[in-house]
Amino acid sequence: MTIQNRDSFLQTISEKLGRTAPLTKKPEIRWNHLPQHEVLKNTSKDELVQILIEQCQNIHTSVHLCDSASLAETLKIIFDQYGNGSIIYTDDNRFSELRIDSFLQSQPESFKWQPELLEQNITIADQANIGIVISDVTLAESGTIMLQTNEKKGRVISFLPTNSIAIVPKSSIVPRFTQAAQFLRSIDGPVSSCINFITGPSNSADIEMNLVVGVHGPVQMTYVIVEDY
Amino acid sequence: MKVSLFATCLVDMFQSNIGKSTVELLERLNCEVEFPKEQTCCGQPAYNSGYVKVSKEAMKNTIRAFEKSEYIVCPSGSCANMIKDYEHIFQGDSEWQGRAKEIASKTFELTQFIVDVLKVEDVGAKLNGRATYHPSCHMTRLLQVKNAPLTLLKHVKGLELIELPLKENCCGFGGTFSVKMGKISEKMVDEKVSSVQETDVHYLIGSDAGCLMNIGGRIDRKDLNIQTLHIAEVLNCH
Amino acid sequence: MAMKISNDKFTDRLETNLKNDFMRNAVASAQERLQSRRSLAAESLGNWEEWRNHGEEIRQHVLQNLDYYLYELSENVSKRGGHVFFAQTAEEASNYIVSIAKQKEAKKIVKSKSMVTEEINLNQHLDEIGCSVVETDLGEYILQLDDHDPPSHIVAPALHKNKDQIREVFADKIEYTNTSKPEELALHARKVLREEFLSADIGITGCNFAVAETGSICLVTNEGNADLVSALPKTQITVMGMERLVPTFEEMEVLVSMLTRSAVGQKLTSYITVLTGAKQPFEVDGPEEFHLVIVDNGRSSILGGEFQSILQCIRCAACVNACPVYRHIGGHAYGSIYSGPIGAVLSPLLGGYDDYKELPYASTLCGACTEVCPVKIPLHQLLHKHREVIVEKEGRAPLSETALMQAFGFGTGSSTVYKLGSKVASTVMKPFVNEEKIKKGPGPLKNWTEIRDFPSPEKERFRDWFEKRNKGGNPS
Repeated sequence: MTIQNRDSFLQTISEKLGRTAPLTKKPEIRWNHLPQHEVLKNTSKDELVQILIEQCQNIHTSVHLCDSASLAETLKIIFDQYGNGSIIYTDDNRFSELRIDSFLQSQPESFKWQPELLEQNITIADQANIGIVISDVTLAESGTIMLQTNEKKGRVISFLPTNSIAIVPKSSIVPRFTQAAQFLRSIDGPVSSCINFITGPSNSADIEMNLVVGVHGPVQMTYVIVEDY
Repeated sequence: MKVSLFATCLVDMFQSNIGKSTVELLERLNCEVEFPKEQTCCGQPAYNSGYVKVSKEAMKNTIRAFEKSEYIVCPSGSCANMIKDYEHIFQGDSEWQGRAKEIASKTFELTQFIVDVLKVEDVGAKLNGRATYHPSCHMTRLLQVKNAPLTLLKHVKGLELIELPLKENCCGFGGTFSVKMGKISEKMVDEKVSSVQETDVHYLIGSDAGCLMNIGGRIDRKDLNIQTLHIAEVLNCH
Repeated sequence: MAMKISNDKFTDRLETNLKNDFMRNAVASAQERLQSRRSLAAESLGNWEEWRNHGEEIRQHVLQNLDYYLYELSENVSKRGGHVFFAQTAEEASNYIVSIAKQKEAKKIVKSKSMVTEEINLNQHLDEIGCSVVETDLGEYILQLDDHDPPSHIVAPALHKNKDQIREVFADKIEYTNTSKPEELALHARKVLREEFLSADIGITGCNFAVAETGSICLVTNEGNADLVSALPKTQITVMGMERLVPTFEEMEVLVSMLTRSAVGQKLTSYITVLTGAKQPFEVDGPEEFHLVIVDNGRSSILGGEFQSILQCIRCAACVNACPVYRHIGGHAYGSIYSGPIGAVLSPLLGGYDDYKELPYASTLCGACTEVCPVKIPLHQLLHKHREVIVEKEGRAPLSETALMQAFGFGTGSSTVYKLGSKVASTVMKPFVNEEKIKKGPGPLKNWTEIRDFPSPEKERFRDWFEKRNKGGNPS
């Protein structure tokens, strides 16, 4: 792909920095301060679950705790709260591992993301009442889910539907953003074209600093923590 | 203990009572106070307006005046901080940088000196009434002296301290800012005066003559029944 | 809108804004709310100073090695199927973007909030070729609908407007019929903007941080608008100031955590999105084509000089929220899209002293900005540095002031002259004294005494008292 005007641009910078030509060797990094590793250090997984649940109160997000056996039942309760209607979810093999694939397919208006249907996916997501995703990494401190989207897990599933449900495997919970960043750096090969860190529903305080929940993205959000997954 | 007083130009010319109280207070705390006569101004008015070269003349004069002192004590957080900054201002000047560093290490704001050097928290002062304290910006943020004045005021018998709302907001003095940006300064000092009024006090106390001239001048113009006092004056009531 | 938002003189801008009581109250209450949220969020980390130290070292390291990291970034964007355009000037940047819009025959462009696109006056250039550009950040959208009212805060652009004014704008421009409740206003905007997202040809975003190691860009919002801007249109263009990058995800994480806490007091905002290149084969959503435009526009002239630390800025506006001057004059008085302390330092550097020489003086140097800056930019010292440059290098200070300051130097540089001057002061000022106070002062005192009393010079200076006392005279 094209890169334009780079040489002269970088030459100007290097001269300003007192060099005759741009640096070509990777600079050595040695940080003197690394406070991020101290946050929630030595916190047990169960404590992290509690921290996550408490943080959900600050981010206008409902939270359910269940095991995989009662996951379908829990989801049904949430669907009812959200008024049922059409559901869209990612094509994620963790749904079958959690044994709720057939439950989701059996819902009256449910749709699994299918790349071969192209733009139709987006139209369906736009009209959907509920979108369902599974968190890849979950940050306890901030109450954030991380999603790595791809052809089977479209980006808009967590943005266009009115309500959003994230299934949070307990095993995915880490202390904070720091561990997610380390995880992403450790991936062998290219990272996903879109990685979302989502912390509760969409909101804005642009009108007189009043918080309005639900602006462009979902209006309501629920996390379902699955304790044995 | 031998103490050299840096009175500041505002105190020397306009608020001599602050200087007198400082001397009497330090003497009561068993200090031997001297006043190096060569002193003028720390240079801040010119420096803050961007006239760095001009200000350096005043700074050199201050260095010369206090070089031989053991402790330099100043009843102003802002001017004390200015002296602490000399080293940075004379950076690269082989003649003056070292001398600047030397006097900076011996310079203390009055309340800082009493609490940190003399290790005194109760100076035995008495003043009846309600008061609020305005923490000046340079003293708290730049010089990082936050607790010393409050520690001393808490021990003043008869004085009821009420916290000033929005206390960390600048009063709008800012040296030449007060005349250069007079319209903005007016809104700032008005808000500060309203905050003081909200506390319903007899006294407004501060540690910097500049801020006190600003807030006090506005209080007087509005004919409010609030007396403005420098902390040295309060601590010297006994 | 370019960086400059007004042709009025600074004094006129002040006059107008100081009279705007609604704005001043809105700003004051927003400041109080944001400041207390910020300090809670910072304190909850327990070691905020360590975070600031780390934030500072990351930003300084990047600036010192900017040429390398920009090279690495561009290589990695290209590897992931993206195009990179380096633009030295605002014109080069907007011309490139305009050429893409023409090539794509774009009719509609959706944008998420970006200061640098304001700086390069992008919307106007796109308007001129007949593209309809829609701002999708709710605050920016309100301003755009209101005939391009300029932003007054870098994070909360419509801070100066109240809900009734917004209701009127919506009624006038987008067929709104409901009340001025923020929820109802936002719901209407959601419906209207959803259609815009779904039908746009190009999405334009800013960039909070670019990650050199992976060629990613990171976008931080609460509304989720940047996600729709980047997921739906076929072409995505991201515009970044050349200094806004980090080496790896690990430094990105630290700065994002500090940004959201400093800006709005949140541990993280609702959406932090990391985008890398164009969409992959078989992906349905995401752009088919991705362009990254890296803008200099005056930044390289700051690099390597005494103002370099201003390039550490991560645009959190904590300094704006802490500034006691901004509190009273609001954003528009600065005459630049960059307001508050960051604006008063940056605007003269990017836009020149002709338009912005007053801004560095619109500060009491109280240091509130420096204290809250998450990346430790010495903002009040940079404001002072501007004054020094204006006076000593540019020679732009008024003659009367220069004369006064020369006199100051003369009067304070030697104690002999000082002693004489201060001694006669009480005699000189005598005609103005009334009950120990000066109520109407001459010369430079005039502005002071317009609103406050000034103490009259002491008949007996402190030094005279001290000398008399030491000689054994009666202490008064």
